[in-house]
Amino acid sequence: MRGPLGIFSRVGGRQDLGRGAAFWVAFAIVALGLVAFPLFGSAFYLSNLANFFVYVPMGLGLCLLWGYGGILSFGQASFFGISGYVYGIVAQNLSLTPGASLLGVAAAILATVIVAALFGYFVFYGQVSAWIIPLLTLVLSLILETFMAQTAGYQWRIGHVLLGGYNGMTGIPSIQVGPLEFGGASIALYLLTVIAMLLGYLGLRLLVNSHFGYVVVGVRDDVERTRMLGYNVARMQVTVFALAAGLAGLSGVLYVSWGNYINPSSMGLYAATLPVIWTAVGGRSSLIAVTLSTVALKWLADSLAVRGGEYAFLIMGALLLATMLFFPAGIVVSLNRLWRRARRQAP
Amino acid sequence: MNVPYIVSLAYQYADNLAFLLLAALGLMIILGVIDVINLAHGELIMLGAYTTTLAYHRAHLPLPACVLLSFIGVGAFGMLLERTVIRRFYRDKLGALVATWGISLLLSQGMLLFLGPSLIAVPLPEWTLSYAGYSFGGYRLLLFGASILVVLLAWWIFYRTKFGVRTRATMQNPAMAQALGVDTRRIYLYTFAAGSALAGLTGGLYAPTTTIVPLMGTTFVDVAFITVVVGGGANPILGALTSSALLASISAPLSSAFGTFLGRIGLLLTALVIIRFLPRGLSGYFQDLQRRRMAGARS
Amino acid sequence: MSSPVEREPLLRVEGLTKAFGGIRAVDELNLAVAAGELRCLIGPNGAGKSTLFSLLSGIHQPDAGRIVFKGEDITELSPFRRVRKGICLKFQTTRIYRGLMVGENLTIARGKVRGTNGRLEWALGVLGLAGETARPAGELSHSHQQWLEICLALATEPELLLLDEPTAGMTPEETALTADFVIKLSGQGVTILVVEHDMAFVRHIARGVTVLHYGRVFADGTLEEIEANHEVRRIYLGEQ
Repeated sequence: MRGPLGIFSRVGGRQDLGRGAAFWVAFAIVALGLVAFPLFGSAFYLSNLANFFVYVPMGLGLCLLWGYGGILSFGQASFFGISGYVYGIVAQNLSLTPGASLLGVAAAILATVIVAALFGYFVFYGQVSAWIIPLLTLVLSLILETFMAQTAGYQWRIGHVLLGGYNGMTGIPSIQVGPLEFGGASIALYLLTVIAMLLGYLGLRLLVNSHFGYVVVGVRDDVERTRMLGYNVARMQVTVFALAAGLAGLSGVLYVSWGNYINPSSMGLYAATLPVIWTAVGGRSSLIAVTLSTVALKWLADSLAVRGGEYAFLIMGALLLATMLFFPAGIVVSLNRLWRRARRQAP
Repeated sequence: MNVPYIVSLAYQYADNLAFLLLAALGLMIILGVIDVINLAHGELIMLGAYTTTLAYHRAHLPLPACVLLSFIGVGAFGMLLERTVIRRFYRDKLGALVATWGISLLLSQGMLLFLGPSLIAVPLPEWTLSYAGYSFGGYRLLLFGASILVVLLAWWIFYRTKFGVRTRATMQNPAMAQALGVDTRRIYLYTFAAGSALAGLTGGLYAPTTTIVPLMGTTFVDVAFITVVVGGGANPILGALTSSALLASISAPLSSAFGTFLGRIGLLLTALVIIRFLPRGLSGYFQDLQRRRMAGARS
Repeated sequence: MSSPVEREPLLRVEGLTKAFGGIRAVDELNLAVAAGELRCLIGPNGAGKSTLFSLLSGIHQPDAGRIVFKGEDITELSPFRRVRKGICLKFQTTRIYRGLMVGENLTIARGKVRGTNGRLEWALGVLGLAGETARPAGELSHSHQQWLEICLALATEPELLLLDEPTAGMTPEETALTADFVIKLSGQGVTILVVEHDMAFVRHIARGVTVLHYGRVFADGTLEEIEANHEVRRIYLGEQ
């Protein structure tokens, strides 16, 4: 595994679906297609696609945390929201300073990681039972939403930025690097989300196939054994939790750069549920499955919202329950297993 | 500090305690016996509140009968859930948690589509007691009494009935209990039904005090979750009692001084600190203490 | 004692006490293990053998007493730090990563240490695991799973290896192979404590034996001394 080729053999390692030449050729074609899409697609489609891709890092973070690390969390949306709000506060306050938006990105993701690490410290160093983390992260999401929803009015401001209460924070500037503005309908933001998605996927795939990744999986499979091999399991879990939160934070920043806006429901119960649904439905043991399901389900939810939002919840709930009952490994992962079995039996 | 002020604080404490206890007990019993977290617990409370409200307005039943109906109806619904869904997840406890979350979405959203955004609430029985310038809601005091009664009843079932003995045996060692002829599946079924019935009771009891909306479950579960985390599953009744007693002493003064929101924040921070040092919650800690004391006594 | 000077033992346990559910599983136990020693711990069911191992490895905290390893008090140390100090445990019920390949199990166990671990390579060869790296660990035979777990422990380069019933469920031939392996391992300088029920294994090892009873050291000596001890035969072998 040494030398420059080592990286390639590692990315293609065992800890995900999709190995072998056919997969990588298909992957390259899709990646190239996505990068080249602005040559054909209209601004409307680009903006819509960017909105779907924005959520992929958040979904991938939960996939790493839950599927590989065995830690179920409803906290991804909270970190998404914290990041979005922090970015909004910093970037809007410093809107006249050059490079303010990059500072905002750094501050947002840093704040997210710090909050997650603190939360993780209490939870993981106590070696709590597995059910405590989903419970407390749900409470975190409820509290954050309630808190932000009551910050309406002039007294709730940081610098000259109003938090905005239930209606949310508006007028958040997009990320800007020199003359390049990553606004909602821009090619630049579209490409940025594509890059974040592809690099997020490849980077995590590299990670889960590295030594660190195997230890993460080891912790999932047998905490006690891993501790008995000399690993500081609690520190490792905090690291993975904070990394997942950082990815959710990246999604949060991309989201506000896309929409110039964030509101409390982005960290509410429904929002907290979505990453869990993407990960469960796609198949939590596979990064590529979760990437696909995140985009597909985000598209589905948006289409449902157009035709009456009240059904979206219902269909998402039904999808989650049906997946847990009939495809506990996830739909994409189960389909992949079926296909492989069929191919093996074919003459 | 004068006496009326202390009485008023005690009243708020009792009110908080009753809420935490009633919101969490059912969830905690299911966790303690089956080791499953039912994330649809809040929606079961919501179903209880809807049952009571509908029975009151449409069937014109007296309030106590409505609450009883909630208790029985939601208990039966819980039985159905256990048979159809929960039972499949006894080998995958986190899976049960996710599946019940799906149920929770289905129930709250289904209710929204079925009965609309809200119902007219049951009027709050207007019994007030006043003392030295403070007035106390009589119904709130009744809720406190009800919460204590429920705990006593649960305790009696747990420690004084044959069913309770079998349940505790199942908690300690399901395989062993099974070998001794305990039908653990039946124990699980009844436990889940009992936990659900308690949720229904809570919803029915609180129906006159709150707005009846499909998402009302969430106002119960955030504190219920914290109570469960702090109490732990080692001994549901002791855990629920000690945990709500502790948490009420934090949330009552915080909420009355700074509002409900800071009360909730205080609860979350308390939970984080408690699990850092007592990862199995208060009931786990008491269990360890008791074991150590027994060991000391033996030698 | 060959040396006239009283040397600090590798492991010293003083007044160790641990209670579970009203029973003192380990009761003011004292024990010293010299570097390079190979010793079997025997005793009736519930004598506290596995509890002692869980205290030594840090899975449980003792209610009283202390554990000194290489002259350092490690009583308060968390399990993973003890592994880094050189104590590693093979659990009573085999604990390997069944869903992962044998090679991946070893990757995790070896940590970030690069380069070859000669003792590990040797052990994998002797125990018939060298050619199995690309097989899922869960598909190995029961004995090979036990051996793999011993190899995982060896990969952490322990100075003190705790083996909890390493031959449970093995055939007599496999038991003998394991015993020979443990003797050779001891010959390479690894200090080893073995909890074992199987007297055939203990006789095969034929070294120092410590008998635990009701959480205390009941008897201590060579295999011959222990086998000749009437009290031990009474409590352990059930002879009247």
